Amino acid sequence: MSTDYQYVPEPKLVKGDHSFRSITDMIVKTPLSSTPNLWYLAFGLANILLITLLGAIGYLIWDGTGIWGLNNPAGWGWAIINFVWWVGIGHAGTLISAILFLFRQGWRTAINRFAEAMTIFAVMCAGIFPAIHVGRIWVIYWVFPIPNQMAAWPNFSSPLLWDVFAVSTYFTVSLLFWYVGLIPDFATLRDKAKSKVAKISYGIAALGWTGSFRNWWNYEKAYMILAGLATPLVLSVHTIVSFDFAVSVIPGWHSTIFPPYFVAGAIYSGFAMVLTLMLIARKIYGLEDIMNIDIMEKMNLVMMVTGNLVAFAYLMEGFVAWYSGYIYEQGIFWLYVVGPYAWGFWILMFCNVVTPQFLWFKNIRRNVAITFVISIIVNIGMWFERFMIAVASLSTDFMPSAWDYYSPTFWDIIIYIGTFGLFFTFFLLFLRFLPMVAIAEVKGVMPQADPHNYDEESQKFVESKTEPVVVQQEQTV
Amino acid sequence: MSEEVKSPNYWKSLGELAKNEEYQKFVEREFPENATELNDEVSRRSFLRVMGASIALAGFAACRRPVQKIMPYSDMPEEVTPGKPLYYASAMPFQDALTGIVVENHEGRPGKIEGNDMHPASKGNTSAFGQAEILNMYDPDRSRYVRNDGERSSVSAFAKFCANHFSNTDQNIAFVSEANSSLTYNRLKEQALNQFPNARWITYEAFGEDNALEGTNIAFGQRLRTVNHFDTANVIVSFDDDFLNPAGDKNSVQNTKEFTSGRQVSSPEDGMSRFYAIESTFSITGSNADNRLRIKSGNIGSFIYALAAELSGSVNGLSAFSGYNNEFSDHEWIPVLAEELLENEGESILTVGSEHQPELHATIAAINTALGNAGETVTYHEVDHIDDQNNREAFATLVEDLNNGEIDTVVLTGTNPAFTAPADLNFSDALSNATEVIHLSDYYDETSKQASWHINRAHFLEAWSDGRSYTGSRSIVQPQIEPLYSGVSEIEFLSTILNGEPAEGYDLVQETWQSYFSSNFKNQWEQTLHDGIADEEETYPTVSASLSDEFSSQASSFINDTASAEGMELVIRPDSKVFDGRFANNGWLQELPEPMTKITWDNVALMSKKTADELGVEEAGLGKSEVEIVSITVDGTTVELPAWVQPGHADDSITITVGYGREGIGRVANKTGVDTYPLRTTSNMLYASDISVEKTGSTYEIACTQDHNSMEGRSLLRHATLQEYREDPHFSTYESSYDAEMPGLSYAEEHGEEDPLSIFNPIDEQEYPDGEPQWGMSIDLNACTGCGVCTIACQAENNIPVVGKREVSRGREMHWIRNDRYYEGDVNNPKALHQPVPCMHCEMAPCEQVCPVAATTHSEDGMNQMTYNRCIGTRYCANNCPYKVRRFNFFNYSKEFLTSGDDPEIVQMAMNPEVSVRFRGVMEKCSYCVQRVNRAKIQTDIDTNGATMKPEDGSVETACQQACPADAIYFGDLTDPDSEVVKTKNNNRNYLLLEELNTRPRTSYLSELSNPNPKLA
Repeated sequence: MSTDYQYVPEPKLVKGDHSFRSITDMIVKTPLSSTPNLWYLAFGLANILLITLLGAIGYLIWDGTGIWGLNNPAGWGWAIINFVWWVGIGHAGTLISAILFLFRQGWRTAINRFAEAMTIFAVMCAGIFPAIHVGRIWVIYWVFPIPNQMAAWPNFSSPLLWDVFAVSTYFTVSLLFWYVGLIPDFATLRDKAKSKVAKISYGIAALGWTGSFRNWWNYEKAYMILAGLATPLVLSVHTIVSFDFAVSVIPGWHSTIFPPYFVAGAIYSGFAMVLTLMLIARKIYGLEDIMNIDIMEKMNLVMMVTGNLVAFAYLMEGFVAWYSGYIYEQGIFWLYVVGPYAWGFWILMFCNVVTPQFLWFKNIRRNVAITFVISIIVNIGMWFERFMIAVASLSTDFMPSAWDYYSPTFWDIIIYIGTFGLFFTFFLLFLRFLPMVAIAEVKGVMPQADPHNYDEESQKFVESKTEPVVVQQEQTV
Repeated sequence: MSEEVKSPNYWKSLGELAKNEEYQKFVEREFPENATELNDEVSRRSFLRVMGASIALAGFAACRRPVQKIMPYSDMPEEVTPGKPLYYASAMPFQDALTGIVVENHEGRPGKIEGNDMHPASKGNTSAFGQAEILNMYDPDRSRYVRNDGERSSVSAFAKFCANHFSNTDQNIAFVSEANSSLTYNRLKEQALNQFPNARWITYEAFGEDNALEGTNIAFGQRLRTVNHFDTANVIVSFDDDFLNPAGDKNSVQNTKEFTSGRQVSSPEDGMSRFYAIESTFSITGSNADNRLRIKSGNIGSFIYALAAELSGSVNGLSAFSGYNNEFSDHEWIPVLAEELLENEGESILTVGSEHQPELHATIAAINTALGNAGETVTYHEVDHIDDQNNREAFATLVEDLNNGEIDTVVLTGTNPAFTAPADLNFSDALSNATEVIHLSDYYDETSKQASWHINRAHFLEAWSDGRSYTGSRSIVQPQIEPLYSGVSEIEFLSTILNGEPAEGYDLVQETWQSYFSSNFKNQWEQTLHDGIADEEETYPTVSASLSDEFSSQASSFINDTASAEGMELVIRPDSKVFDGRFANNGWLQELPEPMTKITWDNVALMSKKTADELGVEEAGLGKSEVEIVSITVDGTTVELPAWVQPGHADDSITITVGYGREGIGRVANKTGVDTYPLRTTSNMLYASDISVEKTGSTYEIACTQDHNSMEGRSLLRHATLQEYREDPHFSTYESSYDAEMPGLSYAEEHGEEDPLSIFNPIDEQEYPDGEPQWGMSIDLNACTGCGVCTIACQAENNIPVVGKREVSRGREMHWIRNDRYYEGDVNNPKALHQPVPCMHCEMAPCEQVCPVAATTHSEDGMNQMTYNRCIGTRYCANNCPYKVRRFNFFNYSKEFLTSGDDPEIVQMAMNPEVSVRFRGVMEKCSYCVQRVNRAKIQTDIDTNGATMKPEDGSVETACQQACPADAIYFGDLTDPDSEVVKTKNNNRNYLLLEELNTRPRTSYLSELSNPNPKLA
């Protein structure tokens, strides 16, 4: 028995000629230098939108959910669409940081901090909607199982209640995970900071990190455990969000395909959103070496796979509608295609079925401009997917006599746009004050971090010092 | 607050800053005597008060309930138990026909009108107008005081004026009155005509019996009232007669009852009458027809004459028509109808719409007589209060005389001719020639504004009166409440004019009835008040009419005068909701979806699909509520109104309704719809031929509650012909309807499920509680005519707010029971089907499972309950309801409805104290009238000393069931095998809506049957 070993070199994850020091400098530069004017401009715009959102919510609570375009068959409209859309976007972060971590995907380090931040802010945006869409927000705490004088408990069989638990758990774990990952970097910032305020602030956030072996040991364990906790949540959150629809009896909602299809769609849209943000940020902050084309291509591949899963699900819906012989399911599918919301369906088909097919081509996957456009189209498509599910199914269900057309009002639109204000306010604060790449982690995937093939003298990766990656070619007896 | 407090005062200024009434009342109430304390530096109490003020400043005043006074019964009236309603019989006048009612009274304020079982015109039921009358009484826009030349005056001033003005008995007085059957009123009328020798009396109704009376005059030489007994007929032929619609016939309740009882089928052996409708507009009556023919209204005459000609060979009395020929003589319907009528001699009814020319009424009377129907299915009655003159002609003469200055005083009781009179008469201009115009009316309306004296009228629920039903039974109208605005009833008004002093209605009515009850007056009077009717059997004297000798010669001349209906035709009809405009300020009726079009808050120009296509007008539908406006020109007068495609309408014909487009009447009526009266002239009271219609190019939004008219092949409303039912009595099952087995059924049976209906959950006690009683409902679609009275009755019973056109157009109507109307078949000549849909009260309710806070749950007696206080308003339940019967308070509708205007307490008084008024942000839906159910259960519990809570069958009636004149709704205890509801549920036509979802509804339907003539299929 003999085995041949052949060395297959992997492309470098961090491009350019970087040392640990240059990486640190590159990343801490932004939080520690003075604020650029462009940031003020962007932050100002985001703030205007945020204030608009708060004002619109104030008016909504003052006047009632009637200011939206909801009607009797369509009890849910943009608010729920936006909720599902934002939660979906919030999926990428935890997937990247937890699942890819467990699978030891080194390329995740370029974007995990970024994606996690996005996740948290997206879930915050999402969380607003279930709260404000209820008729009586002042008693919304009744959805929590709080012992009370009325001796009334929430109804544990309601998917909306599951939602409350799923999303709040997801948010908590994501936040914790993000924070734990930030601790070593906070310490770096603390050590690099010149100003007193920054030193103290980062110092407090760093929780007394010294970089000792014990610190690292605890940190790695905690990170691993949180990754393990977060992994099922990635799958569960959108599964449970899909239950809001799938558990009901409404044709177009009542479908067992929903949980996997929602999760795939969430990852799809989450990656698209990360790409959109990343492609801008890498340019502005000069992070092209870390968030490089290889990373973008990998993300495009994930999008291609999930996008095709979603497309498959759409086709299956049509097939199942036909195969089931269930007239209402057939009816709603037909109404999707040619009914009053057919325009939405065809936008959706273009965005989510046609668009991912472009990603089969390597040239396109590695083209920044096209990727940027695709990432935006994908998110439009995913919004329309939720629109079709929530609104089209509701407005034209069992009883044709009750059918009614749903159209949004100014307030639906302004609240949706306003959530971008909330998102970008936080995201800009994140870009300004926190390290947008996990410094410690990205160093871990650089050649320097490899004790076996890094040549100290030449400060280079030396192939001969490599422990080769094993590829089993053929076994000959 | 005490004035002793000197400024600068810390506390007072804060209070002033708060400028909040609640806060001030709060301070006044809580610290009334502590003026001195206000001067203290900082005491605990004043600190609290500052805190209170700051809270008020922060805008949280709304958190505190407003302080309102409640008034205890310091002097307890007899028989009043707070919380327990009392019921008083009375009667509701509509034109000159009374309908017996029973009024539910809560602590002295009437709350709900219900039918009187003993009254022949009611038999326990009412029309939509009847249900809505309660809101009319509590209408804050009703006129509240007497006006003299527009200035506020008083009843005593008016009496003084009358004493002076009417002392000259030789003046030329014209009394213009609405049709009124009141015995007292007609007694005073006689007196008036005696007292003023130069007076004339004109009964003016924009839509009335005048042409029918004129018709009997031609046929029989006598003005007789025609009464159709629909329950006794095998064959009914209606020519443009909307006799099931309260707007089309003042006796619609009795008509509906008789019509449906002649069509009740409980087993395949039963027969049912056959109903032919020949009409232009697709009316609700026509939608109940077995065979329906759509022809222009202008052709109805020709059609009738052609039928008469066809019959003339076989029966006696129609010789005038023999040999007559016109374009309908070869119509395929004529021989079929003739054959059918001849087979059913003496057992058929022919009837023609009241606004058709007298000649048609005469011909119909002649045919009915010739067929031997007269005296059997159709009876003719001599009605003493009907004038001997042709009132329409008399009214035209009056206008002429007014223009010539020959009339000194015009006294108008209740009518509003300035709005409703034919446009060519220019009544408004004519009226200005009179010296004095005295007008009694509910609103300060178009006529009132021209009157020198406007007297605000008392509602019939506020005043004593009396009258007779359409068929002649006498009743006393007793007031339920002191007049809200000190109004004067029509008899008090007349008496004041005649005697020059204010009168008491009670005395006037008693005086009338003294002569009727010759002995034992007190007992008989009280008995009549109690029963709401003097003698159930009483009718107007029946006349066995025979055709007059002149009829033949008249007929031969008028049949040759028939103009053929060429070009585009305009048909003008009273509105199903506002009638001639008198109900225009009633929010319930304005928001009631029109039974056929489902349009609310507007009047439209109805036309067939073909006519619409020719005009280039597009149909509204899902997502398209903007419709084209068309301009309709008749003899130089143009009115613009929105065009609406009404499948089944006659081609080249456009129907419009009147009563809308009011100004200065009230907040509901004003600017709602378009005033179409300018198109109605003496020459075209019903229809105008050869009009011109054009598309204007502008559009208008219509609030229609049903955007989709097809059932999309879903068996939601199951129906068959009587023949099909006899061949397959089980046609209503899922298997028959879909020609397929219920999904999951055989799987379940293979796996030994106990209840094969369920694939997942075998039946268990949670889904069908074993307690007694268990409530259920069934709705007989064969009986339902689609009139919509159930919707209004429910609205009145359950405090359902009026949300307005904007909200309805956004799909947010609040009705707990809606009436679905589907079209089936040919788009130009479809069959229309009606289906009332309340909450199904599912055993396995999808709504209950998804509410996160358990606000909707199942009761022990099987009702799906809605706990408003617990609801947080996620609307998930409404989404998950397959029947879409849940309604959400998107805004604070009740508050808007109940606190608008200067004195919101008035509309609030119309609310049912037994039903919560719902707040913004909560879901609501049909509760099976749980307040009525529980009242009956408690009563049974008391009556049986706690032995049972199971009320006797029939002792609980839901509001919709009670109002329904077709008796289409059954409600009762499912654990009682003898209950009506169980009997209907055991009928083989019983089916469940969307039963394949396994929601197990407690409400079920009995499929609809029709009995079409196979020869016309």
